[in-house]
Amino acid sequence: MSNAQISLTLEPAADTRRPMALTPGEDFRGYLASHLGRAVLFLMTFTSVLAVLLILLFVILRSFSFLSGYSLVEFLASRDWRPTAESPVFGSLAIIVGSLYVSFAALLFAVPLGVLAAVFLSDILSWKARNVVKPVVEILAAIPSVAYGFFAVLVLAPWMQKHLGLSTGTNALNASLILAIMALPTIISVAEDSISAIGRELREASYSCGATRMETMIKVIIPAAHSGIIAAVVLGMMRAIGETMVVWMASGNATQIPHPWWDVSQSIRTMTATIAGEMGEAPEDSEHRGALFAIGVLLLILTFSLNIVSEYFLSRAKKATGKT
Amino acid sequence: MNLRIRGTLDRFFTAATGLSVVLLMLVLVAILGPMLYRGSNAVFFQGTVEFRKMQRDLFRRSDEATLNAEIAETEVFHRRISEMIDEFRKGVDIEAMSSQVRDIHRTFGQELRAKAVADDRYTELRNLTRDIRDSLEAAFAKQDIREIRPLLDGVLLHAENPAFQGTAAEKFFEIARSFLATAETVDLNHQQEYAAALRELQGILFHTQDLPGLLGPRPDEPQPLLVMLRYGATRWDQAQQLLDRFFWVEEWVEEKPGEPLVMRKEPRADLFPETLGPLFAYVQENADKMLKPKFTAYWQFFLDDNFNSHYFGGVGPEILGTLFITLVGMLFVIPFGIVSAAYLVECATDGQVIRIIRMCINTLAGVPSIVFGLFGLAFFVLFLFPLLGFEPKPCILAASMTLAVLTLPVMIRASEEAIRAVPRHYKEGALALGASRFHTFVTITLPAALPGILTGVILSLSRIAGETAPILFTGAVSMGDVPRSVFDPTRTLSYGSYDMAVGDRLAMMVPHNQYGMVVTLVALILILNTVAIVLRTRVYRKLRGQ
Repeated sequence: MSNAQISLTLEPAADTRRPMALTPGEDFRGYLASHLGRAVLFLMTFTSVLAVLLILLFVILRSFSFLSGYSLVEFLASRDWRPTAESPVFGSLAIIVGSLYVSFAALLFAVPLGVLAAVFLSDILSWKARNVVKPVVEILAAIPSVAYGFFAVLVLAPWMQKHLGLSTGTNALNASLILAIMALPTIISVAEDSISAIGRELREASYSCGATRMETMIKVIIPAAHSGIIAAVVLGMMRAIGETMVVWMASGNATQIPHPWWDVSQSIRTMTATIAGEMGEAPEDSEHRGALFAIGVLLLILTFSLNIVSEYFLSRAKKATGKT
Repeated sequence: MNLRIRGTLDRFFTAATGLSVVLLMLVLVAILGPMLYRGSNAVFFQGTVEFRKMQRDLFRRSDEATLNAEIAETEVFHRRISEMIDEFRKGVDIEAMSSQVRDIHRTFGQELRAKAVADDRYTELRNLTRDIRDSLEAAFAKQDIREIRPLLDGVLLHAENPAFQGTAAEKFFEIARSFLATAETVDLNHQQEYAAALRELQGILFHTQDLPGLLGPRPDEPQPLLVMLRYGATRWDQAQQLLDRFFWVEEWVEEKPGEPLVMRKEPRADLFPETLGPLFAYVQENADKMLKPKFTAYWQFFLDDNFNSHYFGGVGPEILGTLFITLVGMLFVIPFGIVSAAYLVECATDGQVIRIIRMCINTLAGVPSIVFGLFGLAFFVLFLFPLLGFEPKPCILAASMTLAVLTLPVMIRASEEAIRAVPRHYKEGALALGASRFHTFVTITLPAALPGILTGVILSLSRIAGETAPILFTGAVSMGDVPRSVFDPTRTLSYGSYDMAVGDRLAMMVPHNQYGMVVTLVALILILNTVAIVLRTRVYRKLRGQ
């Protein structure tokens, strides 16, 4: 009785009647399947590369007729953007400056705050409390940009007009404040990773020399983690430059360079907002549409170069902490 | 440096870092708190009888018997108010009165023709009524009671004329008498001002050309064509704003020369003579009886379509469109994301190629969302669709594919992390038992990594649902039918939120619907993210064996 049970449970484990070696046909089929499978997997993985190439190709392709027919110097150096005038002018200087202007202004708010918060999360807060604070950062990152834009237009703009006495609530200050909030999660998480990646040795050595926590942080840890922090800032910058909805809704969309340059209460216009706002009205195959795609190319160049910079600093940070 | 100073500085530093995090939390609360509160007003509010009427007419849901009783009760008030206004208007609105007497004159002529009166008698009576009409119009134009009285007395002499008994001409004398009464009580020098003020008052009470008022159309008026003009204030908060405008006039006055203007509120009743005083008292007394506010939980907000660009109704089609785009997008992202992650973790041997792939994934994550929109338009809509024989126009399929490319990095990174988190000994155990690598991956690694992958799926879902810029040119519209296939464009919550935030005056009049739309989107995404965060913590706890 018990014997029969044992044999019953053992039987499906292996087919003992067959020889252990595979037949040549099976061997070949297995070889083919494994390599074919790998090839298919590789191709699917390769989609990301393909996507990047296609994005580059098609955005450049669409702007090609414009870029070849229009003076590149005028496109980059003129401040006049009058796409619908009788003789249209496509000078994107004010727009490019606008993009950089709000992004740097946003970083001005976001970097000190982000680095301080990263220090607090990595070195001061207990591990348990961190599990409460981190979701806050994640939720800030998850809120869709259109909701931030909504807040900027319907809450922040009227508030600014009423309490700061500005002539318009949709201005560079409004856009940069919101962009700062949106760039913060990126900056905090990358900076925190790099600060906590600096090992205990440095901290303990510093404390044992009698340094306070502030001295340890400012003179030892942050300099040691500088590569990662720079990468965090660059990634935050990328987030701010690429953001569309918030700047479109909150920046006022006036094609001008603020004068004097520090006057953040003036309306400005960014590259992303220009594309978003004018694409719908630009007729197909027109010069206007080509110009908008050309701005897209500029954006791509800008973000690609920022990406390379951030990759460089991230890999340096990895090397510095000895982790590959 | 002094030890004490160093200690103080250190404490300041700690406080500053702590404050930065507190500030972060405050920002989150400041953004989400008011938004959620005002958005909840779209669903929970004090609905008036007009709201229930609107629900019955537009969405076919009501408690017929109670509603009819309510309407009957409120209509009494509507009629009374309308009568009070008419009575007052008779005295002041010259144009209306003049056109009325001209009408009477015409109708009287038609009545005579119908009765087939003899020609000379007809001419005689017509001449008489023309004289009456002219002296009435002359009286309306005068402002001094001493000039008006003789003119009206002359008209009223004919009141007993048997030829006018039982005809339209009787109304001449009614008008003459009531105008005499008004002229004796009201200062006619202000006639023009009264007429203008009355028009504004009626706009607030009933409706203007294009904006709804407190009570809806007048009882004797045909139903307006524009849906939103057919109903009065559907919400008690709206009604209170209108009542405030009804009782008070806002004026910007310059109190001191050179200073900014200051707003002052004056009672609207002061604009009118005392004869209209009872109307204000009446409305004040019966405001809640006319509108019958009642707590309403309008959960159908999430199902209903909207009317008059979101003046009435909900966000049903927007939710449907968002789900549609998200699900189609996920069909593309999930397989590609998981396979890419699996390849990167399990099969990656060749250093150079893998480095390029990783670099491209990072690059893809950094491409601005609007550029994805450009790419979607240039590649999917204008290049791929004509190639495959589809119509090259923005649609759900194009939007979904664009968003799929955008979220691919999110999905790959999350899945990769999940697969890497599976302990080595799981896999080694399976391989030692003679399972092939494919077999091991499918039966051992993937099931263990599945909850983590699910986290990635949820995160990409929330990313797709929230993005706006990429679908601007590839498939989102602000108005239109509910999509029937993936080749139709659709409304979405994200684009709808944008549209309502920068929308026209009408959207600004329904802040509850503006906030309702954006809160639906934010709530959807917060729920998805909370689920993802909770799931992730549990998975890692389990895999670590805690």
